[in-house]
Amino acid sequence: MKRVFSQALKELNQFRRDRLTMALAFVLPLAVLLIYGYAIRLEAKNIPLSIQDFDDSFLSRTYVERLFATNQFVFTPTVGRDPTSALDQGIAKATVIIPPDFERQIKLHQPVTVQTLIDGTDVNNARVIQNSLRATTQFFLRSSNLVPEQARSPIRPQVRLWFNPGRREALYIVPGIFGVILWVFPSMLAAIALVREKEQGTLVQVYASDLSAVEWLLGKELAYLLVGLGEALVVMTVATVLFGLRLRGDPTPLLVGLVIYLAAAVAFGLLVGARAGNQTGAVQGTAIAGFLTALLLSGFIYRLENIPFPLSLLSNVIPARYFIVITRDAFVRGTGWVGVWYAPLAIALIGGFFFRTATRILHRMQFAD
Amino acid sequence: MTAAVLPQTEIAIAVQSLRKRYGSVEALKGIDFAVQTGEIFGLIGPDGAGKTTTFQILAGVMQATAGEVSVLGTEPRHARLNLGYVTQKFSLYPDLSILKNMRYSAGLRRVPEARFETRASELLGRVGLDRFRDRLAGQLSGGMKQKLALCCALVSGPKILLLDEPTTGVDPVSRREFWDLLAAVAAEGVTVVAATPYLDEAERCHRIALIYAGEIQQIGTLQELRNRLGLRRIEVRAEPLDQAEVALNQSRGGPLPSPLPGGEGTGKIPPALLKKGGSADSGTESPLFKGAATAGDPTQAIVDIQTFGDRLDVMVSDAERGSEQIRAVLADRGIHLSDLRQDEPTLENVFVNRLRQQGLDPAYLDFPAYRSGKEPGGIALETRQLQKTFGDFHAVRGVDITVHYGEIYGLLGANGAGKTTVIKMLCGLLPPSGGEVELAGETSRLDRSEVRSRIGYMSQKFTLYDDLTIRQNLEFYCGVYGVPQPLQREKIDWVLETCGLVGQDHLLTGSLPGGWKQRVSFGASVMHEPDILFLDEPTSGVDPLARRQFWRLIRDFARRGTAILVTTHYLEEAENCNTMAFMVAGDIVAQGSPSQIKAGQPGQLIELVSAQTQAASNLLKQRLASWRVSIFGDRLHLVLDDPDRDLAAVQQWLQEAQIAVQSTRPIPFSLEDAFIGIVQRAETTQRAKAP
Repeated sequence: MKRVFSQALKELNQFRRDRLTMALAFVLPLAVLLIYGYAIRLEAKNIPLSIQDFDDSFLSRTYVERLFATNQFVFTPTVGRDPTSALDQGIAKATVIIPPDFERQIKLHQPVTVQTLIDGTDVNNARVIQNSLRATTQFFLRSSNLVPEQARSPIRPQVRLWFNPGRREALYIVPGIFGVILWVFPSMLAAIALVREKEQGTLVQVYASDLSAVEWLLGKELAYLLVGLGEALVVMTVATVLFGLRLRGDPTPLLVGLVIYLAAAVAFGLLVGARAGNQTGAVQGTAIAGFLTALLLSGFIYRLENIPFPLSLLSNVIPARYFIVITRDAFVRGTGWVGVWYAPLAIALIGGFFFRTATRILHRMQFAD
Repeated sequence: MTAAVLPQTEIAIAVQSLRKRYGSVEALKGIDFAVQTGEIFGLIGPDGAGKTTTFQILAGVMQATAGEVSVLGTEPRHARLNLGYVTQKFSLYPDLSILKNMRYSAGLRRVPEARFETRASELLGRVGLDRFRDRLAGQLSGGMKQKLALCCALVSGPKILLLDEPTTGVDPVSRREFWDLLAAVAAEGVTVVAATPYLDEAERCHRIALIYAGEIQQIGTLQELRNRLGLRRIEVRAEPLDQAEVALNQSRGGPLPSPLPGGEGTGKIPPALLKKGGSADSGTESPLFKGAATAGDPTQAIVDIQTFGDRLDVMVSDAERGSEQIRAVLADRGIHLSDLRQDEPTLENVFVNRLRQQGLDPAYLDFPAYRSGKEPGGIALETRQLQKTFGDFHAVRGVDITVHYGEIYGLLGANGAGKTTVIKMLCGLLPPSGGEVELAGETSRLDRSEVRSRIGYMSQKFTLYDDLTIRQNLEFYCGVYGVPQPLQREKIDWVLETCGLVGQDHLLTGSLPGGWKQRVSFGASVMHEPDILFLDEPTSGVDPLARRQFWRLIRDFARRGTAILVTTHYLEEAENCNTMAFMVAGDIVAQGSPSQIKAGQPGQLIELVSAQTQAASNLLKQRLASWRVSIFGDRLHLVLDDPDRDLAAVQQWLQEAQIAVQSTRPIPFSLEDAFIGIVQRAETTQRAKAP
């Protein structure tokens, strides 16, 4: 055990001296946090909408005002006579065409057709615009008392948003970013540390002593677990300040989960390092594998349930998936162990597998043929 | 003799029919040797001979394919804690301090903390690193790194020390100190196995094994190897040297059909072509060599001739008859013989001879030349007070060099002395910080393409693309240098043949061993027939035979009028240069022909044989300046300023200490001795001036 500690101590000394790895450990994660934290917005806002109002009556103007009152749309002037040209040129995402007899027909209690053209290139946004236009139209009818009271639906759902009543998106995104950052960077640092020993030839000295693969890797594991905890502290502190995150409820699941998650990330890095031949390979291996899985298969952005069948199996072995469950619970839901008890177990299982595989690769502590 | 040096005959390492195979490549083809306790055993051979593989198996970091290896009576893996292993790259952590590096090594080998403290202080004090304990390993010079690596290996008090080329690229002074340390360590009972590509260093081992292509060619003490060779070496200095070489070659029976070249007419075929004319038949030298062993012709004593910068080395079967023959031949041709000296064959002679007997000498082919070279004699390149600073680091401080067409100019020095920086400035790759450069008559804008097309540059890092095949690389360089299309094929074929790569041109360059790559790289750099050729450490890692051939090639180019500036850290190689300069820390400390530099050394080198070499060395190092004393195997080399007076004093000191002296004799200085003398004297005078 003493030798494991002296390994870890040496590793931390080296880490402290190397500015590049220091930057990799603390500067890049913060950059990722800022970019993702501010750039990723799933909610549709400020959609350019153009209007062709052929009626230009009191009612039609009220309707148009209603549309823009939501703050979801911004007014974009039409281009020429052709209603589609604003869409064609990409200036507007949607165009609403109000017929000349809009007010007259409504007053006669006749249905009136308002043509709405929506740019369908972005499927998700198209749906958002569609729903939003429908809802606004309903609201306009109701608020202008154009719909009779008795026509209202007999069931009125009383909706309340639980956990995130303000629908603040940061609360959804930022805990997910923790999952990405705290996976990618600790694993990358560990992989570099291991491969560097191969490149500098210092590994030979280790081979030439009777240190076992487990002792050697545990030393590195320990060192980078500590580095990872430092990273987590920095990243989470900055995030709470910038994005207004607060811990809710019992913090122990987060603490336990964090340590296990970081250990798994470092173990993954060691596994990549044991396989890779040089630093380029180590960095690419950890970065690509880490970003791809933690971004796409973890439920960070895309709902896990939307992942199609064979790939959805893969998402079960992505530790980030479980860690994001833990962070979202810690920062948003605050239900504690009840909701997340299985997540640390799953991460530990996967991380243990990584570490075991890494030691198997190096178990002989000799050059491969 | 061996028994006198090594009272114990206990076997520390025993290797029997050891084999190692990497895929389809057999790196070791069954080698056998045994190393006794307390012995310094040298494993000598070129890159790719199997040295590193042997070390890795001995250190237990690699498994052998077959054969038996016993280290301290057990498997290498079980003996690991009793081994110290210094690798080629030193295996140091550049971002840890000296002390932390040592502490880590100690931790790996279970050295208790209390013992570590005393042991570390003792070792660091011994190698003179005590003051730098907290300096980062990455900021140390090559010599200091090497010493630190040795300390790390010794910190656990190992019984066996494995040193895999620990001195490559390290300056001669540090190298000599390192070997003195090794001698002291061995005297304390530590068994040392060392690999080195420097043949002069090998002479400092008790016993030497020559390894080549995965096989041990010969094992023995230096004297045994020399005796087995059965030849004597005669150094001949004559004027003009070219003609002397031709004459001696002819008298040896070399197939030289044409008369001596006049040298003045430009229309004539260059002498080099004539001289090497017969070499298209690949066995020019080897069959004769074998013939000499049988001594068919009683008057024929000359076996081999090797040309150096300002002398010929003639290997003869009998010293007396050989000298007579040389004198007779040269007198007959009216060539002035300025000096003739008999000496023992060098280890290189032994090695080269052995490999030739095995028919391993590669064929030599002429280079197809289409452009007549420059007239030898004119100034090709000149620098005045050339300087380069990087920040506040003075890499080059005021260098004056003049190289003529047809001259081989050697720039020598350790890694970091500034050689490469000088070459880069001369090639126009790096702007100088001060001073003037005149290159091929031009003084400004040396990076223009007209100037560039007249220079060839081969860097120490091969300028070949690893992921192209050999042919694709050569075709690429033909295009870069504008070799006319019809000639390309022929030139490429020549390069392939010289490198022994015919039929292999589809191989990826990255898969070639270092030495071969370098030859292809040289071919690529001379395909456009430059007037001025810069070679930056062209021969490191190349085996002696190939290296000899390489120099022959360089000489051929020089004779045709090419000016050649070559850097090397092998001092023994500098003998091939016409003129040379030693660089130390950005300064030129000595300049001249090899003979001039050696002759310029004050004093005399004395070889002293004693039964108690180590004790004698310890005593004399105290009495004389430490650099004047060094251990070579079972002998001592002493540099004495006034041998008549000093030798008597030395003998008296030894007598007082009851150390028996068996013999003393004067021996000639090597370039390395000269270099160390120059550096040490410079330091001494500096120190004298300082207070």
